Amino acid sequence: MADLRINLAGIESPNPFWLASAPPTNSGYQVQRAFEAGWGGAVWKTLGDPILNVSSRFAAVNFNGQRVAGFNNIELITDRPLEVNLKEIYETKKRFPDHAIIASLMVEPNQAAWHEIVKRVEDVGVDGLELNFGCPHGMAERGMGSASGQVPELVEKQTYWVKEVAKTPVIVKLTPNITDITVTAESAVQGGADAVSMINTINSLAGVDLDTWNTIPHVAGKGAHGGYCGPAVKPIALNMVGECARNANINVPISGIGGISNWKDAVEYMLMGATGVQVCTAAMHHGFRIVEDMIEGLDTYLDEKGLASAMDLVGKSVPRYSDWGDLDLNYNIVARINNDICINCNKCHIACEDTAHQCIDMLKDGNGKDILQVREEDCVGCNLCSIVCPVDGAIEMVEVPNELPSMTWNERQAVLSSTLTSQAMKK
Amino acid sequence: MSEYQDFLHERDRIDFLLQKGYKITNVTENLSGAFVDFEKSGESNGEAPRETLHILNADARKYFSAMLMKQQKEEV
Ligand SMILES: Cc1cc2nc3c(=O)[nH]c(=O)nc-3n(C[C@H](O)[C@H](O)[C@H](O)COP(=O)(O)O)c2cc1C
Repeated sequence: MADLRINLAGIESPNPFWLASAPPTNSGYQVQRAFEAGWGGAVWKTLGDPILNVSSRFAAVNFNGQRVAGFNNIELITDRPLEVNLKEIYETKKRFPDHAIIASLMVEPNQAAWHEIVKRVEDVGVDGLELNFGCPHGMAERGMGSASGQVPELVEKQTYWVKEVAKTPVIVKLTPNITDITVTAESAVQGGADAVSMINTINSLAGVDLDTWNTIPHVAGKGAHGGYCGPAVKPIALNMVGECARNANINVPISGIGGISNWKDAVEYMLMGATGVQVCTAAMHHGFRIVEDMIEGLDTYLDEKGLASAMDLVGKSVPRYSDWGDLDLNYNIVARINNDICINCNKCHIACEDTAHQCIDMLKDGNGKDILQVREEDCVGCNLCSIVCPVDGAIEMVEVPNELPSMTWNERQAVLSSTLTSQAMKK
Repeated sequence: MSEYQDFLHERDRIDFLLQKGYKITNVTENLSGAFVDFEKSGESNGEAPRETLHILNADARKYFSAMLMKQQKEEV
């Protein structure tokens, strides 16, 4: 059995699977049941001045039979007084001393307010703090959450205020509702953050009801934008983690969040630079026990890869994540159709003919059987045919040798401009 | 004509000049594609012969770029 323990900026946890700050971590009862199920850590539902919520709060986007492909909420932070939460945090930590409890915090951008809440939560023995600069609705209208998380100066300043008094590691949770997340991540690091976590939810409207014309969800016939999460956001969040991981100025650990539903998602995040992961929607959809498969899957994967520790995964794919200008323009792949497996649905032909490069021919083989064949010389290797193909293994994308040497766009432009320069010098 | 045939045709025109000893001296890229200037130096008398190819095909534009890289390496 591999060692699943992680150490994220000094916060130790028996495995990389934490529950994100959200309804699953609302109370001591829930967090203790989560730890019993096997979760390694929990980021407590965000603490701050207790709020008032509306009803209803959630909506899901189902896609082609998959329930909860995306999840939308207009819920705010905790609606329970600080004392109640602190008592339950204390009790939970006492029962589960080896599990990580991180207090998520949100107060107005004011030094004294941050100092007060930090001291009070640290007094009950939390392992770390997570500053919620991410909630996109409700709190943002009051100058908190994503409203302060979108202003780099405020991220830096508030992180700094927290670090002035914090004795435990400080994680800054970033909003994805910004053009370039590395800017606010850098601000967090400038302010002294020990780690960053991402992503909080993405501004969203789940839908509009075609009969009533109400928004989904609606509150007495009115709607407001919410925050989107769940499997649909994973590619967005994974890119943000990767962009931060490869940025030399963001030299702190990353806690990865967004659409993580199983051990494979978690491994992808860790390979892309996350030291551990946080989960919300998948737990809300399937319950705490999903962590059992996550632990088993990760353990088996590490053994298969011959890795002794989960920490050995962290960042292994980061050097492979680059800029478009550094990709080899002369690397070629083409599609090959295996007609023994192909069911002749022609989806690849239609996709290629209508929307790609018109290089899949509908032919007949020697026995008069319909077959599909790629004209490899016209195939640009776009992958579309294999994406739309409903049968695994029917279309393979294969690398074809190119007699031309590797050449990136950046290298090409450098050569072109130096040709121009040398010509200008000759003249 | 397929894109590949376009490529072969434009590559042949590039190769033809390179094989005759021409070198790429300038590339102008704009909305219409690439205009690649070739010059054959070292001729004993008169002005060095010049040619310009208008390259439209994307693979052919990769091709002359690779040839230009090769040419620069050889010059060093
Ligand atoms: C109903 C709901 C409430 C949430 N409340 C909070 C919160 O109080 N504090 C916070 O930092 N994030 C909150 N989040 C965001 C999650 O912690 C997490 O960042 C986001 O859901 C992405 O993870 P997921 O795709 O696994 O759900 C909430 C998410 C949901 C769905």
